[in-house]
Order: sequence, then structure tokens, then C-alpha cells
Amino acid sequence: MRYFIYLFAALLLSSTGLSAQQKQEPWKASQLVEANTLASRINNNKAANLLILSVGPDAIIKGSVDIGPTVEAENINKLKNYLKNVPKDKEVVIYCGCCPFDKCPNIRPAFAVLKDMSFKNAKLLNLPRNIKVDWLDKDYPTND
Amino acid sequence: MKKTFCVLLITLFASHLSAQSTALKIGQPAPEISLPTPDGKTILLSSLKGKLVLVDFWATWCAPCVKEQPELKDLYSKHSNQVRTGKFEILGISLDKSKENWRKGIERFKMEWIQVSDLMFWKSPVAKDYAIEGLPFNVVVDEQGKIAAINLHGKELEDFIDNYLSRAK
Repeated sequence: MRYFIYLFAALLLSSTGLSAQQKQEPWKASQLVEANTLASRINNNKAANLLILSVGPDAIIKGSVDIGPTVEAENINKLKNYLKNVPKDKEVVIYCGCCPFDKCPNIRPAFAVLKDMSFKNAKLLNLPRNIKVDWLDKDYPTND
Repeated sequence: MKKTFCVLLITLFASHLSAQSTALKIGQPAPEISLPTPDGKTILLSSLKGKLVLVDFWATWCAPCVKEQPELKDLYSKHSNQVRTGKFEILGISLDKSKENWRKGIERFKMEWIQVSDLMFWKSPVAKDYAIEGLPFNVVVDEQGKIAAINLHGKELEDFIDNYLSRAK
């Protein structure tokens, strides 16, 4: 029995370890913001010093700015132009929410821009499934 | 010890199960859909009663959905006789936001079946009505408007449609 438990644990560990190795993401785990954290900041009016940018199909989150899908070059330029006048120490949270991270074409190019432009407080909203399941279904605040 | 292990396993499987959509059930009436085509004509799912309908939820921003479209095109061509005689139809529902992208997608994949969208991305009420938790997603609706299959893809979907239509002959 014990053998099975060890085997099970080893399997779990190796699968998470592998996936962490395979994905060379531009963000660090510490740069992920949980949806409930952001939602409560917005609800408690503690998001004023925060810049929330939508880099996906729609700016659903309350107070967020619609940049457009950054898989498209014109929206990457829009993002760069928008960020030109933003102080480098500003807390900037980007999100897409179309699909799980591994299927999303927008978050990586957008996060790379933040990194290249030396934003010190760049964050990515952690939406493991999509904006419907992880935001709308939880009745978190929206732009409409 | 064995007990703990079993509980652990059951919990793991249960959490996987609960992640699946539970709102739709095979045999239940499919929720009504009323959405516009790119030309603004409203299509009702109920207006397709009498046909076997594959309701395909997709979007141009969804890579696996886009990849699946040529397969649906093949399926549609394969059953073109049934389409002509009013036995089969595909209803493509896009969760796009941009009308331009949507139109371009339809043209690019030469989708000849019905296309509708309210261009509301994940905020579309249809996503809620069908308890969609991710794309691609589809349902097969039978001649009586009841759900006959949920989220089949690839060979499974093809076999289901083929078998259903050959039985209905």
C-alpha cells in the first residue's frame, strides 16, 4: 500500500515538475494575481493606484482599459503607446481570459512588452480557465 | 492507510467530475438560442426542429476551435444530401467580440452552415445557458429539440452523426 502512495506522490510531483520546466514563461509565479484578490481590491475601492489592461478580446473587468488582443501587431503598438506615459513603478495587471494560459495567444507578447519596457510591478491575472468561469460566474465586478 | 488513500483518490476524481458542466443532460430539451447571423437575421434553434443539429460553439480567438473547422466542413460535405433534405444542419455560434474577425473567420474556413453571434465574447448569455466552461464545445440536438450528445469531437463526433443519420434513413 505504502508503495502505491509513494508512486502516486512521485507521479504527481513529476508531472507538476515537468510542466513547470517545459513552460519558460515570461512571468514568475510571484507575478500572478489571483482573481479573488483583484476582485476584492476593486470592490473595496483599493484599485485606484492600479492599472488593469485587457489584452484579449474584451475588457470585461471593471475599470480595465481595452487594448485589444495583443496577438495582433497593431495592438502591441497600442499597448506600447499606452504604456509610454505610465510611470515604471506603477502596478500594472494584464489579463486576457479567452482560454487557459497554455492556449492563450495574447498574454505572452503583452507581458514581454511590460518586461522590455522595464515595468517593475508587472502582474498577470491568474485566470486558469477563462474570464467566464473565473470571473463572470463568480459575480466579480465588470465594466457594464 | 488504505482508507485514506481511497478517500484521496475519490476526492481527486470528484473534483474532476464537478469541473465538467452539469447543467446540460442528454435527453433534456436544449435551451433556446436566438442569435443574429452576420447579416442581422435572427435564427432560432427551435426553427431547426425536425433536423439533427450540431450546435458548435467556437471563436476565431480559440485555436483548437479553428483547428476543428475543416473537420466540420468535411462532416457537412459528407452529409450534404441530408442537409438538402432537411435532416441535418450545423449551427455555428461564435463567442467572438470583433465582427470583422468573425466575418473573416467564416470566409477563411468557407463555412457554409449557419453562423450566428451576439459578439459578446464570454459575456454572451448563450455561454451561461449552455454552462460552457471552455471552448471548443458543442452539443448535438435531435429532431425534437432534445440534447442527443454533449461535447463530442473528432472521430467520436463523426461516428455519432454518421450513425444517427444512417439510422434515421
